Amino acid sequence: MQDEESLVRRAQKQDHEAFAQIYEEYFDKIYRYITLKIGDAVEAEDLTQQVFLNSLRSISSFRWKGRPFSAWLYRIAHNQVVDYLRKKKKVAVPLEEKLVSGGDNPQLAAERKLDVEQVLVAARHLTDAQREVISLRFTSELSIAQVAEVMGKSQGAVKALQHSGIVALRRALTVKQNE
Amino acid sequence: MNNKEFDNILNDCLERLLIKGESLQQCLQSYPEQAAELKPLLETALAAKEASAVQPRPDFRARARYEFNSALKETAAGKSRLSWGWFPRWATVAAIILAVVLAGGGTVVAADSSMPDSPLYSVKLATEQVRLTLTPSQIAKARLCAQLADRRVAEIAYMADKGDVEQVEILTRRLDDKLELMVAFIEGRGGIHLPGMAMAPPEEAATPPATYEAPPETTIPDEALTPEAITAPDKTWGGGDDAARNGNRHELKSTLLSDATSNRAVLRQALDEVPESTRDALRRALSVSEEGYEEALDALE
Repeated sequence: MQDEESLVRRAQKQDHEAFAQIYEEYFDKIYRYITLKIGDAVEAEDLTQQVFLNSLRSISSFRWKGRPFSAWLYRIAHNQVVDYLRKKKKVAVPLEEKLVSGGDNPQLAAERKLDVEQVLVAARHLTDAQREVISLRFTSELSIAQVAEVMGKSQGAVKALQHSGIVALRRALTVKQNE
Repeated sequence: MNNKEFDNILNDCLERLLIKGESLQQCLQSYPEQAAELKPLLETALAAKEASAVQPRPDFRARARYEFNSALKETAAGKSRLSWGWFPRWATVAAIILAVVLAGGGTVVAADSSMPDSPLYSVKLATEQVRLTLTPSQIAKARLCAQLADRRVAEIAYMADKGDVEQVEILTRRLDDKLELMVAFIEGRGGIHLPGMAMAPPEEAATPPATYEAPPETTIPDEALTPEAITAPDKTWGGGDDAARNGNRHELKSTLLSDATSNRAVLRQALDEVPESTRDALRRALSVSEEGYEEALDALE
């Protein structure tokens, strides 16, 4: 993608081509971010679409102040997710789920082939902040500095959350060997 | 080794493994003492990344792109309507006459509390612009912008309650402009032209149309008062006294903190009460409001 700042400035002037490039660059990343955050790939479609419509309508309010554009865009996505979850009043993880926390003689599911459902279910065991970091780092490939911008935290705090998030994810993906 | 050092090592390995595409073995060889602890974490991260690389369904992707392009065209069309730069000079004059000569009179007073669905609303906007122009100092202008932003928020909540998405979006743009203008005044980039006044020959500016017929956008478009329209710097932040200047900034900061909170509350409450069809537009207004106040408060730091 060409220099992001000039691209965004063009988009702010209603340059279709510039906005289309931004859309293509971020669409899949935002979709994956939302999917992991809400744990529902279908619902994530509508929310992703809404994020881009919202960004289109409010891009004129974005200001370059040393903050990356991605931080602004993910902030919109974050707000969209928060609104969605507030409405939905997220249900607790069902008891019958096969994934359990801890367990003796564990075998990590990651050693087998994981599917997205397993990851989504496991991600529910993370705190909101851990899930945010894991989503932004692993599905959207943002740098630590960018994640720190999006979350309004220090880079050190983000690294700590990344560590504890992976530990929690591993624990959640661990299944009892006899199941 | 403390946790912070390990967090840094883990992060370095993740960068190399997930972003740069190095192998797990390469990463572990770089940190032999931590390899045993790193290995399961990196395996988990790698597996989770691969598994969560979901792609939107092709039919959804196509539909989303189509709808986005349609919205893009609509937005561009709307922008061009708002950016004509056309402004009837006689309306400025009429507004000044209304504001100065009839100040306190029934029309202006009634217009002052009018809402966007009222015929008097255009008089309200014109009067606001005139007040802004006639307000002498940067800080007073910034304060006035804060008051006008409050009005826009109240109007947004009112129109959202009526389910008028288009008006909510127009008002959101006006709110954005007011907050942006406030930042410009805070940063000392003040001084504004009323289009059609300073640049027009007096005789032309003073010529109203033969009959008064209020167009939909009778007043000065808010776009005309954006920082781009701002002219000579005016550093009148409470005179030359530093203490007074600091006091003024402190007072304005308190006002803005309070406004940011109350306006967020107004919009959030409206969000719970308005028709579903209006909520997205209202969320955008909320986002514009939050970002605008944040920027204004940053400018005061």
